[in-house]
Amino acid sequence: MDTLPKLLLENYRKLGDEKIAMRRKTLGLWHEYTWKENYEYVKYFTYGLMHLGLEPGHKVAIIGENDPEWYWAEYASQAVRAIPFGIFVDAHHDELKYYLEHSECAFVVAHDQEQVDKILGLIETLPHIKKVIYWDPKGLWNHEDEHIVYFYDVVELGKEYERNHSGRFEEMVEGIQGDDIAVFCYTSGTTGSPKAAMLTHTGLVETARNWFAVDPWYPTDQYLSYLPPAWAAEQFLGITAGLISQITVNFPEKAETVQENMREIGPDIIFYSSRLWESTASLVQAKIADTIAIKRWLYSLFMPVGYRAADCRFNHESVGFHWKVLNFVGEWMLFRPLRDKIGMRDLRYGYSSGAAISPEMIRFFHAMGVNLKVLYGLSETGINVVGYDDDFSPDVTGKALPNSAIDITEEGEIIIKSKSMLKGYYKNEEAFREKVHDGWFHTGDYGYIDEHERLTVIDRIEDMRELRSGSKFSPQFTEIRLRFSPYIRDAMAIGGVDRDYVTAMINIDFENVGKWAEARHIAYTTFLDLSQKPAVYDLILEHIQRVNRIVPEGARIRKFVNLHKEFDADEAELTRSRKIRRSFVEDRYRSLIDALYSDKQQEAIEAPITYRDGRTGTIKTDVTIKSVPETSTPDQVKERRG
Amino acid sequence: MRVDGVSLAFGGVKVLTSVSFEMAKGSIVSVIGPNGAGKTSLVNCINGFYRPQNGTILFNDRDLTRLPSHRIAKLGIGRTFQQIELYTGLTTVGNLLAGRHMLMSSGMVSAAVFFGRTMREEVTHRRAVEEIIDLLEMEQIRDEVVGNLSYGLRKRVELGRALAIEPTLLVLDEPMAGMNVEEKEDMVRFILDIHELRGTSILLIEHDMGVVMDISDTVVVLDFGIKIAEGSPIEVAKNPAVIKAYLGGN
Repeated sequence: MDTLPKLLLENYRKLGDEKIAMRRKTLGLWHEYTWKENYEYVKYFTYGLMHLGLEPGHKVAIIGENDPEWYWAEYASQAVRAIPFGIFVDAHHDELKYYLEHSECAFVVAHDQEQVDKILGLIETLPHIKKVIYWDPKGLWNHEDEHIVYFYDVVELGKEYERNHSGRFEEMVEGIQGDDIAVFCYTSGTTGSPKAAMLTHTGLVETARNWFAVDPWYPTDQYLSYLPPAWAAEQFLGITAGLISQITVNFPEKAETVQENMREIGPDIIFYSSRLWESTASLVQAKIADTIAIKRWLYSLFMPVGYRAADCRFNHESVGFHWKVLNFVGEWMLFRPLRDKIGMRDLRYGYSSGAAISPEMIRFFHAMGVNLKVLYGLSETGINVVGYDDDFSPDVTGKALPNSAIDITEEGEIIIKSKSMLKGYYKNEEAFREKVHDGWFHTGDYGYIDEHERLTVIDRIEDMRELRSGSKFSPQFTEIRLRFSPYIRDAMAIGGVDRDYVTAMINIDFENVGKWAEARHIAYTTFLDLSQKPAVYDLILEHIQRVNRIVPEGARIRKFVNLHKEFDADEAELTRSRKIRRSFVEDRYRSLIDALYSDKQQEAIEAPITYRDGRTGTIKTDVTIKSVPETSTPDQVKERRG
Repeated sequence: MRVDGVSLAFGGVKVLTSVSFEMAKGSIVSVIGPNGAGKTSLVNCINGFYRPQNGTILFNDRDLTRLPSHRIAKLGIGRTFQQIELYTGLTTVGNLLAGRHMLMSSGMVSAAVFFGRTMREEVTHRRAVEEIIDLLEMEQIRDEVVGNLSYGLRKRVELGRALAIEPTLLVLDEPMAGMNVEEKEDMVRFILDIHELRGTSILLIEHDMGVVMDISDTVVVLDFGIKIAEGSPIEVAKNPAVIKAYLGGN
């Protein structure tokens, strides 16, 4: 069983209508799809697409939130040996045009009116596109464009097609080879235009199988499908591993209702981006600060117990009888109810991917009994590294999965060899030759491997800076630690050989800082106003000093500024997966950054902004620059105490 | 619906003077005018809060002017209010279900037993409510107490409540007042969705000229209780009387 459609067919034959393959919430109720229904929708949709002219080698773009139709569209395309690929729902005009043009896309399967409208706006310039298929009919009831078709009308077409072509689906599925291309994954593109990594069925299936050797999934498991399937990680896990392990995949009602839906599902396995883990932690901390005194007291009483128990687990030490008893009491008094609130009571594996996540965050979740693991891999190489349950530490990323080899070059670059390696980049062989030497994929990430063969990923090599002292400085290392504060939503650390010291630009977390301000009767109007309050500066200062105690001396933040607005992906300051596009941001805030390295206390800002409705304007204002007084590290304190 | 020669006065103050206009089934008609022009009073006449001294308001050939409000609602006229009128202590679902109260038929005894017909009825109503929640994208506030919601969201719940009675005519009294650009866009989209999906006629009172010009089939202009213009958005925008009423001057 080495291709996805074959796995689907196999599951249908084995499990039929006995087991639930998918559940989704619509109109307030959970609707279930058995493996039989799952298979039938894929089959009919495949036939429908063929009826509309889909042929092997065609590209099929899928753009939408996580829904069964997303999965079905992918499996159906693969059944015809066409190649599906996902696009992020918030892709704007130019991005969308790039993907559809670059892939010479023939069919688009789109979620709703919003996506359909975006594509229809481009369709004149995209002669390859035959049909745009949508699955949420809202607002599209009375459309008249000949290009667009309703998903379930295609399914009906498929039923008709089957009458003359019975058994064709099974025949086609048998003919697919493991080496065939299963999917394109566009790389997020912190630099240059996105490249389409061509992944094979074997690559996908291998990744999932190797995965299960470390973290087994069982058919009784509930999985929450939340990461965008346009992201390689969801391709490897929800879409492929889900088929192999026969778990039930759950789709939330809306992106905004995930928190609630989590509680209803009680998933065994979830996969969040590091950002979502961060916001979950902020949510817990903010709610605790907001709750009644007795609960706050329980929290302050038992969290240290949880931390201690977690640290002992990490260090393979025995926690001791007393602490064990305390931890047990804490489990019932605090941890269990707390986990229940965020829908993680019975969670076995919580995975994090995307940007790096701070060790403090990992300790925080482990303290309350959530098994949060980091995984590392790339669209191009599959998932290659994960934290093993029996050999885990919050400071390291993890160990290589079976059939993945990792190594470090002399420059400190992480290189990977695995069976799930990409076949190449679509229409870009040069890039492939640049990245792969002797079968080793050069990741462009900086990291090291310790004596227990555990990998620690630090940052992108291109983002690593050397400080004047000669030591390496990773802005990301500092930033993720800053973001652990519930009051800091985003941060960018600046430093390098040409800089005397390290500085930071901070995005406050509007909601949490807003609540904090309200509780202290500090009146504010807008984000800008709130961010520039002296009291808010003091609050942020406190958290920066906390971070300064854990980063190396040369990397301590000496000055910072609260930005007047949030970094925004629509303004290209972030990638769609919310990584900072450093050089762009540095360029954009050039004068402000210069001010951070001068004696100025204030700097005038004039920034173009794009409103949510597409209009543009400029903000003119002054922002305050604040210096961070020297702090003492615990070591220095000890020294002084003698 | 046909409004014919409606006049309303409180003591000596003439609020509406012989206002007439017609509204075709399935159309979107906007009533505009400066503050105090009598727009809300006109709407209050339509759904029976005020009794005009003269004139008739015919809805599907029935005169509304002498009917009590709840009977008018039963005829299929739903409305929202300029000042939000919701049960602040109930959840979104609770408010929408309350809106469907007049469509419920089971008696107290069978409701107490909650079996058979009553249960089926409850399920039907809940489903209808869920469809409104889906249409107006209120999933995330389904079980939130309305009093805790933001202003924009409460306006949305109010629209949902008006929809809950399954109206054929929806009267919206300044649904976009006090909203930011994004909330306004959402609201316009919802109004158009309702209009498109359910074929509901819509009578809209609104100050935002951009919205009015964009979505109306017909615009009626009131000034000091007198209709000074009526026609397509383009005609009305060019009408000198309208320009004068709005901008003043000569």
